[in-house]
Amino acid sequence: MQPSRGLPPPASANDPVFHTYRSDLSQVRALVLRHARQAGLTEGRANDLVLAVSEAAANTLRHTPSAGILAIWHDEDEVVCEIRDEGTITDPQVGRRKPPPGASGGHGLWLVRQVCDLVELTSDANGTTIRMHMALRPPGAAR
Amino acid sequence: MDLLTTSVATVESGSEPYTLVELVGEADVTNSDALREVLDAEVAKQPRTLIIDLSRLRFMDSSALHVILRANRAMDRQGGVVALASPRDPVAKMLRLTAADQLIPVYPSVEDASAG
Repeated sequence: MQPSRGLPPPASANDPVFHTYRSDLSQVRALVLRHARQAGLTEGRANDLVLAVSEAAANTLRHTPSAGILAIWHDEDEVVCEIRDEGTITDPQVGRRKPPPGASGGHGLWLVRQVCDLVELTSDANGTTIRMHMALRPPGAAR
Repeated sequence: MDLLTTSVATVESGSEPYTLVELVGEADVTNSDALREVLDAEVAKQPRTLIIDLSRLRFMDSSALHVILRANRAMDRQGGVVALASPRDPVAKMLRLTAADQLIPVYPSVEDASAG
């Protein structure tokens, strides 16, 4: 399985770090947090990215019998985490509408879309790729 | 060490005892079934108040949130109350984004939660 079937990482990005996960999401979160801090994301935004990636990876565990692959890379502008698995998402609008308060499902991808600066989702019969982007200097931020 | 550990206590405070469940570690899809068992068992004892101490919970995902929302519904049906105490920043933000904090009161400490 190719880790990235869609657009390749930009040439200016550093080499992606890859990690295959089957059940240990704590390891996934630790890897994302470490990389996000090293790339220079603020602590709050690093934790946002950790939540997003964990939710995307949780879907792999919920909906597929196979492993997923996490890829992380960054360039001078942004940190990108990509979750790829063999699941298929049929609803292109998934996660775009806020679940009603107290809903017993549907918060995962909604949270992903809330906390990230940009989310790219591609899905077909071969699998799903979710790319989560966090700018290193968000527009309007003083730092 | 387990990713998530839970401890349960009945606290005698003032007029009415309350159930205190402390979550320590990381609560996610891989341990939400275990969390549900713990909360279901406490809800079944029909306490007046169930306080969940989040001060040592480093991470919570939507699976864990759904378990807590489910416990809140069950408590509500039997006339009880669930309260959340001292979530760390990432957990507090998640509760806010999902509007769960509009359904379940969130307090800065267990003491505040027990005072209602």
